[in-house]
Amino acid sequence: MSASILNDAPVQGIAAVPASLAEASRRAHISLAVMVGCVLLIGIAVPWLANAYWIKTLTSSLALSIAAAGVALLYGQLGLVSLCQYALLGAGGWIALRAGHGLGWPFELSVLAGGLLSCAVGMLAGLPALRLKGLYLALVTMMMAGGFQVVINVMGFPDGGAGWLGRVFGSERLMMPRPALALSDAAYFRYVAVWLAAMLALIELHRRTRAGRSWALIRRGEAAAVAAGVNILRYQTWAFGLAGFCAGVAGALLAGGVGQLDGRAFTAGDSVMLFALTVVGGVYHWAGALIAGLLLRAVPALLTDFGVNGYLAMIFFGVALLHALITAPSGIAGQLAGAFDAVRKRFARGGKEAGP
Amino acid sequence: MEDYLPFVISGLGLGAVYALSGVGLVVLYRSSGVLNFAFGAIGALGAYVAWSLLEADWPQGLAWCAAIVASMLLSLAYGRLLAPRLSHRDPTIRSIATLGFALVVVGFTEWYWGEQPRRLVLPTDAGAIDFVLGEVEVRLTHTRALGLALAVLMMGGVGLLLSKTRVGLKMRALANDRDLSALLGIRVLGVDTVAWVLSGAFAGVCGLLLANIVRLQATLLTFLVIPAFAAAIIGRLHSLPATVAGGIAIGVLEALAITVPGFAAFRTATPFLIALAMIVFFRTGTRQA
Amino acid sequence: MFKQKKIARSVLGALVGALGLAGAGGAWAQSGPDCGLNTGKPATGEPIPIGAVVGKTGPDDFSASGQAAAAYFKCVNANGGINGRPVDYIVVDDQWNPETAAQVASKLVKDRKVVALAGSTSFVECGANAKMYADEGVMVIAGTGVPRECFNARNYVPVNAGPRVSATIAAMYAAQKYKSKKMVCIIPNIPSLGNWACEGPKEWGRKNGVEVETIAIDPGSADATSTMLQAAAKKPDTIIMNVPKGILVPMLAAAEQQNLGKKIHFVSSAPAYNADVPKAIGPYWKGNFDVNLEFNPVESAGPDNKNWIAVMDKYGAKSDPRDTFSQGGYVAARIVTQALLKMDPKKIDRAGVTDALRKVSDFRSDILCKPFYVGNGNRHNANNSGPVASPDGNGWRFAPGGCLTADDPELVDIRADEQKMGLK
Repeated sequence: MSASILNDAPVQGIAAVPASLAEASRRAHISLAVMVGCVLLIGIAVPWLANAYWIKTLTSSLALSIAAAGVALLYGQLGLVSLCQYALLGAGGWIALRAGHGLGWPFELSVLAGGLLSCAVGMLAGLPALRLKGLYLALVTMMMAGGFQVVINVMGFPDGGAGWLGRVFGSERLMMPRPALALSDAAYFRYVAVWLAAMLALIELHRRTRAGRSWALIRRGEAAAVAAGVNILRYQTWAFGLAGFCAGVAGALLAGGVGQLDGRAFTAGDSVMLFALTVVGGVYHWAGALIAGLLLRAVPALLTDFGVNGYLAMIFFGVALLHALITAPSGIAGQLAGAFDAVRKRFARGGKEAGP
Repeated sequence: MEDYLPFVISGLGLGAVYALSGVGLVVLYRSSGVLNFAFGAIGALGAYVAWSLLEADWPQGLAWCAAIVASMLLSLAYGRLLAPRLSHRDPTIRSIATLGFALVVVGFTEWYWGEQPRRLVLPTDAGAIDFVLGEVEVRLTHTRALGLALAVLMMGGVGLLLSKTRVGLKMRALANDRDLSALLGIRVLGVDTVAWVLSGAFAGVCGLLLANIVRLQATLLTFLVIPAFAAAIIGRLHSLPATVAGGIAIGVLEALAITVPGFAAFRTATPFLIALAMIVFFRTGTRQA
Repeated sequence: MFKQKKIARSVLGALVGALGLAGAGGAWAQSGPDCGLNTGKPATGEPIPIGAVVGKTGPDDFSASGQAAAAYFKCVNANGGINGRPVDYIVVDDQWNPETAAQVASKLVKDRKVVALAGSTSFVECGANAKMYADEGVMVIAGTGVPRECFNARNYVPVNAGPRVSATIAAMYAAQKYKSKKMVCIIPNIPSLGNWACEGPKEWGRKNGVEVETIAIDPGSADATSTMLQAAAKKPDTIIMNVPKGILVPMLAAAEQQNLGKKIHFVSSAPAYNADVPKAIGPYWKGNFDVNLEFNPVESAGPDNKNWIAVMDKYGAKSDPRDTFSQGGYVAARIVTQALLKMDPKKIDRAGVTDALRKVSDFRSDILCKPFYVGNGNRHNANNSGPVASPDGNGWRFAPGGCLTADDPELVDIRADEQKMGLK
């Protein structure tokens, strides 16, 4: 009986499923390649076009884009708000500086060490998320950021000295040694672009595999996730760990770019701004992380370049933040993607009509 | 004991600061579902307005009223013009939006008044309660005692407002579920107005007292909301008495932390540590905010 | 006959009168402020780029330093420039953020290729940029430096004395006037300030029988009262305030509320000397608060000080503050101008300017207590003396005795450099 049903089923219907799956998989590969390609293209093109001021600024922008990608992962995929990611960035930077100055590790190892420490701390920070949700989680992570602010203010960042804290006393502060193939500002910019492409690809791969599906189920609701057999503890903690890893890597790359980090620049307010501008950039698309990095560093630098009074720039930022939150729920990247799609459909329709 | 008394008393002053801000934050949260990052900024602007008017020789009472009115107007402007456009988003986004408003207000305040050492002197500064224990003398100025009293009064008054009056009931309903409340016939815009104006008035009073007790400096007063959130967390974003008690406890412990030899440099982290400890050790099931 | 003589005499008289007026008019044209070559003719050659990094947006506004230097350079450009070449003065704001400071300094040094920096005043840029300035071989004559890195760099030359030297002089004054034997020094716990600036009074005290303890405070703390009580608990004779004026005012307010001024004398380093401070701290502190100044008073009648005011009035904006940062910026601009004028105008490049600035050795100005010098040393702290003032109503009253020189043991290498250069 069942055999006859199978025999009678339209051949096209069954054969179409693998075909459309292959099509979807091909499109997924293309979009991944496009993403990596765009970032690498930026890495190649910008040093030719920009002057020293802008290369430095955009290097910081790209490094912060990595941290923003982590924030977007937590909020976009899981709906969890973490207001301590900038503190994790600082922690990663601290480890990288200490390893670079004191232990003389190669740059890549320092970056990974920074990333791994922030990954571990991020997972710890994510434990409350199992019990707290929404605004409460946001507040708790903000308290952690506040605590880090006080600690780092007192400890400062390693700058070439001896001892556990690694602070120098009596001579000039040392800059973090850069990787051998990226000593100049332009070369370092390309180096950071490569790291950004790698991190974005890492997140994207997570999204397409089991982790991404588990996160989507967790976001739907814990009951649904448990019913489907998802280990909530493991996948939620993994997400926090991945976001922490992004922040740590970003901190290490920022330290390499600027040469040193200053304990006064890691306030709780900075973590909140990172989250706010990531939401403005767009949490559902990889370009949102890039836009967030630009908003965090390039736009203030532009205003400074034009000599705009710092406080008027603050007003402008506040208005821009309000406007973006009110008018663009999926961020600027979402608006751009929507516009892109509309243009593409226009052309596709035009092409079809123009056909024979 | 002698060594600790001065810090307990000075901690009471600081605790009043945290308690007042915490109550203001929790009140707005309970009546509109938004955590207001701009609370400190609005209060700071009010304090600067009062300072300018006092410099221009206005009478004290009028200057304070002007400060509170300025804060209420700012809060009302946000609540009626900007907050409704975000009312369908989740609470975190609505709170982050108040951060945008805070940046606008702080930027304007710093730009307009500039950076110059200022002091907001209130008439209650003149008198104080003296505590003497052996050789140790410490004074609690009337302003700080007033701050403590106001924190307790606000707690009682707002608690009554929210639990016993119709307006309070409507505010709580609106914070709970906006769409459902609108369906039930609650006049959404009207109740919202009351909630934000009330919060603005609190911000104005807090701003005046904080500017006197701490420092008349816009950026610092704005970011004092972050330790104030610690007091709000201790109150579980719900209970006003717990918020006041938590705020005062944080203040006293932060001041006492000076006497702990290794910890003194880190004492400004006390509010955060206490809030985190409360979360970790006193969990009562899943908490959704 | 008579009539003709009369007419001739009156015509002669008129001519003499006209000539006299013309002569006087010519003299008026010369009696503007004294800048550079004083030719009265604008300079039209190839501009010389000079930069400055100031901390404008943040806890305090130091931009007066850049504004004064800009006014002076405008005056120089209107008076023949640097041997015919005008100065292209570029000021950037580092927003009190070390990362921004690195970016804007990069812009000045690598993009705009400035030959020197003059009139910089920033809390954060010394640590962020000192190495870059040394690597690029560019000198900075700063209007005011604050943290330790500003006074420990080869290419950074602050015109002011610095918080460590200033606090030492304040301590010396207190020991001299009030015979204090036990002092407490309060300093923000910012890394290269909190462990350095109060060590000056401490080490001086150790050599002179005065005990000095340090309290490091968190500048963002909301609780000034506990800090003042902690200081008072150590039972000192004198409390040395070594904090910026924004934090000083609430701390003195807290001390006033606890009536600490009754038994303890209060002194302060230079940041307290500002026109707004006496009114802000109020009448309680009259007669019990002494402040060391890094330069001679803003109202002093010395010719260079008056020239500074004249330059500001003619070439500066009305809203530019005429405070100690402004004095510092003016002096820095003068030092650089004087050094540049000694060079061949066709060969002004960065290496030459750096050389010329290192050779500065007997720069005199009545704004400074002693002649200024740069020299070849690994660090620079040429200004290490200043007078003392105390608030009087809405203004300041100056202590007799003029300039006191700091006896800070850390200055031993500076004194050795001075010996080598043959200065006293």
